[in-house]
Amino acid sequence: MNVLAVTVESSGGGRVEEIARTFGVDWPHLAAQVVSFSIVCALLYWFAYKPVLRMLEERRRQIAQGLANTEKINAALAAIETQRREIMTAARTEAARLIEEARGVARRVKEQETQRAVAAAEQLVLKAREAAAREHTRMLTELRGEVGRLVVTTAAAVTGKILTADDQRRLAEEAARQLT
Amino acid sequence: MEHGLSQKAVEIARPFGFPVTNSMVVMWIVAIALILFAQNATRTMKQVPDGPQNLLEWLIEGLYRFLEGVIGHHLVERTFWFFGSVFIFILAANWFGLIPGVGSIGWGHVTAAGFQLDVPLFRGANADVNMTLAMALVFFACWIVWALQEIGLKGFFKELFAPKSESAGPMRVLMIVVFFAAGCLEVISILFRPVSLSFRLYGNIFAGETMLETMARVPHVGWLVQIPFYFLELLVGLVQALVFMLLTAVFTLLICQHHEEGPATAHD
Repeated sequence: MNVLAVTVESSGGGRVEEIARTFGVDWPHLAAQVVSFSIVCALLYWFAYKPVLRMLEERRRQIAQGLANTEKINAALAAIETQRREIMTAARTEAARLIEEARGVARRVKEQETQRAVAAAEQLVLKAREAAAREHTRMLTELRGEVGRLVVTTAAAVTGKILTADDQRRLAEEAARQLT
Repeated sequence: MEHGLSQKAVEIARPFGFPVTNSMVVMWIVAIALILFAQNATRTMKQVPDGPQNLLEWLIEGLYRFLEGVIGHHLVERTFWFFGSVFIFILAANWFGLIPGVGSIGWGHVTAAGFQLDVPLFRGANADVNMTLAMALVFFACWIVWALQEIGLKGFFKELFAPKSESAGPMRVLMIVVFFAAGCLEVISILFRPVSLSFRLYGNIFAGETMLETMARVPHVGWLVQIPFYFLELLVGLVQALVFMLLTAVFTLLICQHHEEGPATAHD
C-alpha cells in the first residue's frame, strides 16, 4: 500500500500515488527505515551520548571543584601569609625585647663586677698599707736599737771611759727619744 | 531499462519475504559502523581522552553546545539524542555514499559499449525517500510528544489558533478569526514539514549522485572531472546534515518556546 496515497486519498490521490511509486515509497520499506533509524538513535544514545555526556559532566564538575579548591587554597595561603607576617612581627618584637633585656642584664652584671673589683682593689690597698705600716714600725724599732748602740759606742769612744749598764741604758733611751 | 541513476532504491534480496533494497544495505552498514565506533570509543572512558574517545567527545560536545545555543539548555537536554543522531547519521550516510563503489558495484550485463550496471549493490541511504521520510516522520512524532510535554494539549492548540495580541471589542473578534485562519495554514504547513524535510534531503543527495555519475560518463577524463565535484558533495553532505538538524531543532523551539526560555537566557 502506498503511504502518500493513503494520506491524501480524497484530493488527487492518484497523483500522489504516482509520485510515491516513482520514488519507491511503500509501507514495508518506510516502516523498516523508521525502525532501523529508531534503533540507531537508541544505540547511539546508549553507547555514545549517555557515557560521553556523563563524562563531560563529570569533567565539568571536577574542573569546578578544582577551581573551588584553588580558591580555597589561595585563601588559605593568604591566611598563612598573614599569619606568617604576624608571627614575624611578633618574633621581631620579642627579639628586640630580649636583646634589650640582655643588654640591661649585661649592664647590671658589669656594674656588679666593677663594684666587686673596686672593693677587692680597695681591700688589697688597705692590706698593703697595713703591711707597710707594720714594716715601718718594725724598721723604726730596729733603727732605734741600732742608733742606741751606736750612740753608746760613740759616747764610750769619745769619753774614753767605760759606761755602766745604767749609763748605756739611759743613753740608748735618750737617743731613741730624740729619734721619735 | 532506465538509464542513469534510478530515482528509487532497488530491491536486491527478499529474505523471509521481506524486501531489502540497496539503500537499506548502506543504511545498515552505516548504522553498524557508527554503533561499533561509538562502542569502541566509550568502552573504557578516560578522564584524559585520546583516539576514538577524543573524536567522539569532540563531535558530541560540539553538537551539544551548538544546539544548546540554538534551542536552550532545557530543550537540548531532552532532545539531544534525536538531533545528535540525525546529524551524525545523515553526515555519515552522505559521506559513505561518496566512497567509490557505492552505485558502481552490482549486477549488470555486458553490452557492446561495455559493462552495463543494472542493479547496484549499494545506494546512498539518503538517496532513498523511504529513509529521509522515515527520519522526518520519527521527528514529527517526537515533535508532537515534546510539544505536549512542554506546553500541554491546551497550550498546543492555543499556540496554533489563539490570538497573540491583546485586544477588545470587534477588534478581538476580528483577531480571533484572523488567527484561526492563520492557525489552519500553520497546521497545513506543519503537516507538510515531513514532506519538505524528506524531499529536500533526498533531492540534494540524489542530485549529487546523479551529477557525479554524469561526470563519470564524460569520455576519457570522467575520473578527473569528478574530483572537484567530490569535494562539493562532501560539503553538500555536511550542509544537508546541518540543515536537517537545524530545521528540526528550530521547529521544536518554535512550538516549545513559550515554556522554554530563549537560548540567550538559557545559558544563565
